[in-house]
Amino acid sequence: MSEYLLDMRGIVKDFNGVKALDGIDLKVRAGEVVGLCGENGAGKSTLMKVLSAVYPHGTWEGEVFWEGKELKAKTIRETEEAGIVIIHQELMLVPQLSVAENIFMGNEITFPGGLMNYAAMYKRAEELMAELKMPDVNVALPVHHYGGGHQQLIEIAKALNKKAKLLILDEPTSSLTKSETEILLDIIRDLRRKGVACVMISHKLDEIAAVCDTVSVIRDGTHVGTRAMSEMDTNEIITMMVGRQIKNLFPREEHPIGEPFFEARNVTCLDVNNPARKRVDNISFKLRRGEILGVAGLVGAGRTELAMAIFGCYPGQYEAELWLDGKKIEIDSPRAAVTQGVCLVPEDRKRHGIVPLQGVGANITMAVLETYAKFGVIDAESELHQIGKSIERMRIKTASPDLPIRGLSGGNQQKAVLSKMLLPSPKVLILDEPTRGVDVGAKYEIYKLMFELVRQGLSIIMISSELPEVLGISDRVLVIGEGQLRGDFINDGLTQEQVLTAALGAVGMAA
Amino acid sequence: MTTATRNLKRFFSQYKVLALLIAIVAIWSFFGYITDGAFLTSRNFSNLLRQMAITGMLASGMVFIIISGEIDLSVGASLGLLGGVAAILDYTYHMPMAVTIAIVIALGIFIGLFNGYWVAYLRVPSFIVSLAGFLAFRGILLGITKGTTVPLDSQGLILIGQGYLPIAFGNMLGLVVFLLLAFLTYRTRSGRAKHGLSVAPMWQDIAKLVIVAVVIAGFVTALNQYEGIPVPVLATLIILGIFTFIANSTVFGRRIYSIGSNLEATRLSGVNVRLIKMLVFGLMGLMAAFAGLTTTARLAAGSPSAGTLGELDAIASCFIGGASSRGGVGTVYGALIGALIMASLDNGMSMIGVDSFWQMIVKGSILLLAVWVDVISGAGSER
Repeated sequence: MSEYLLDMRGIVKDFNGVKALDGIDLKVRAGEVVGLCGENGAGKSTLMKVLSAVYPHGTWEGEVFWEGKELKAKTIRETEEAGIVIIHQELMLVPQLSVAENIFMGNEITFPGGLMNYAAMYKRAEELMAELKMPDVNVALPVHHYGGGHQQLIEIAKALNKKAKLLILDEPTSSLTKSETEILLDIIRDLRRKGVACVMISHKLDEIAAVCDTVSVIRDGTHVGTRAMSEMDTNEIITMMVGRQIKNLFPREEHPIGEPFFEARNVTCLDVNNPARKRVDNISFKLRRGEILGVAGLVGAGRTELAMAIFGCYPGQYEAELWLDGKKIEIDSPRAAVTQGVCLVPEDRKRHGIVPLQGVGANITMAVLETYAKFGVIDAESELHQIGKSIERMRIKTASPDLPIRGLSGGNQQKAVLSKMLLPSPKVLILDEPTRGVDVGAKYEIYKLMFELVRQGLSIIMISSELPEVLGISDRVLVIGEGQLRGDFINDGLTQEQVLTAALGAVGMAA
Repeated sequence: MTTATRNLKRFFSQYKVLALLIAIVAIWSFFGYITDGAFLTSRNFSNLLRQMAITGMLASGMVFIIISGEIDLSVGASLGLLGGVAAILDYTYHMPMAVTIAIVIALGIFIGLFNGYWVAYLRVPSFIVSLAGFLAFRGILLGITKGTTVPLDSQGLILIGQGYLPIAFGNMLGLVVFLLLAFLTYRTRSGRAKHGLSVAPMWQDIAKLVIVAVVIAGFVTALNQYEGIPVPVLATLIILGIFTFIANSTVFGRRIYSIGSNLEATRLSGVNVRLIKMLVFGLMGLMAAFAGLTTTARLAAGSPSAGTLGELDAIASCFIGGASSRGGVGTVYGALIGALIMASLDNGMSMIGVDSFWQMIVKGSILLLAVWVDVISGAGSER
């Protein structure tokens, strides 16, 4: 009846009253490649989770029609049986098992009685590999023998084996090298010829432009528009993605900015699992005294890795040359960083910020506890005095400093983590997504505090995925894309389009 | 889930100590009834506490290991080794008592730090490191004693395991401890009041102190009715005091809890987490040395099988006493109450002539139950 393979209508999904999706439509024809674009947090992944029944039918509103019939899937298995297969950004392969075993995981070909029929599985796996133009892959070898690009294709083989009619690829190229990406895009074109449709979520607009037939753009959970790729270029996609005005949520205050005093030279980080790939590729920058330096870029661009390398906690191999006040400094651990005046408020508050079972007070004084102690014995009085001051200054709402910090709201936890990292009196404060999961009121207070700090001569490096925040707060903006420094802008009349363009690398540098 | 079970859960998580004390009262009443009161004589009470002292020493060190999120399976074997070394130094080499004790303590700390170095710096899981020690330390012990029991010469050393405090001294000690606790309560109250923090109602603190007074008086009187406070019990109580102080009032103690609750966040706050971990194992080694000396002194000999399964009793005591298998939670007094429960079960079941295989089954079941209580009382709070 319908000309569409998939027709999602008016999808609404809310989390505790916050609408992540607010009436989204998405249509896909058989054998069509649709690019799904949107800023960080626009709702792309949520939409795909609705489609693949990670959020079962009934937990969201709207209708999904699949091959003309309404689909009311409760489990991922049902959607997979229908032919919808999602390939997540983090691959779901078991590295120690063979290529064939991974492809047939959960769908093993067996003899009666349950014994694995390896001969049949190997044969079928080889056919699939040939179909994906990888005939030289040995399907009996464990998956970890192959690199990221091959693994991505093995995931696709797994999906094809499930007779997928629609493949959803979530940032499929984010961990691939250039040549591996080319191969993947070729495969997608090939699948299209065989009638397999594809939804591709990607921040890399050149890839979207290269492979997609139509592009759907969503923003803040609403559907902005769907157009044929042949009718537009990447700049128009960017305009559609941004398309909103900055409201005055940002208490920008004038403050004097001094000379450069901190410098990071040639920061390079190699991917932990795929050392052939550079997460951060030879980035150098200078920081001025009293400056707020915004670091913009898309998720996975390498901003957090850059911060971790400077703070001495990047888990993989890395290089970084750091200079502070004209002297070269060695930072090989967070301890070395903190004692030399570099502090980091990490992005993942729950995992890296708070010690959940300990009191708010103990969390605040954690980095400088030794200063309240004589011979290792804590002077409870002077510690309490400082805790009281920090709680008052940051207006942390807690009934008592003894209460475990995990009971506090996100905003109050963030303020506590911030005060923890201010007590060592840093010269450089790195804030990674300082307002993530923080309510509007607390956001405003955090911005106010940032301006107070820079007026006192501290310098702040703020990594943020929210462009309005970057533009509303920063004095200068670094733009990072695919591990490289794509732009260094003075924030004077800078627009979201300029930043996003630089981040996507669609057009050359703007300044 | 029904409200009844939820209430029960809340009760257990909020008043863990109370639940433990109720358990002790239940166990003691049960054995007291079965044995027609023989279990509740002051002689048996003294005996029971001396039994508990060695497990208690190990549990005091073990609880820090568990709080920091690790485990140490080697302490039973290192207890045996250190006790054996003490006996050899005393009997074969006729070392003065002070020298013997100093060497054994130094060796104990060294063994602990060695384990800790493997765990913290060489990143071998503590389960494996201590399992290796479990085998190797026992092997060394068998090697140096050639599998025979080594008797003790020094009467001073034997006194450590078998001596009692003079009765008057015991009474005075009880009074001093009570006054100290009363003073600490007062100081905490005034300190908190000064910073405008909430202070528990006066009646609550007074009630607590009254209960403490009754417990101390009962404890001292009961032991004095027999021969006085046994030396190993005194040692355990001193360890309890010092370790509780370490846990609550020192940088080191705060770090142990912090590491167990969230290692990464602690590291990213600029804390040298490896050093802390290694030191925790060092402290465990020190406790193994104390326990080893006490064991050897009590038996008046170094036995090649001393301390067998001691690590399991210690670990079980910690979990029964409310330490969390996920790390970050636990108290020294809890671990000691756990050790008391274990010792009561051992002692009581031996008295009524229960076969030792039953004792193992009962202790195993109690360990399983204790950790299960921890898991269900923690399940809701993980969110």
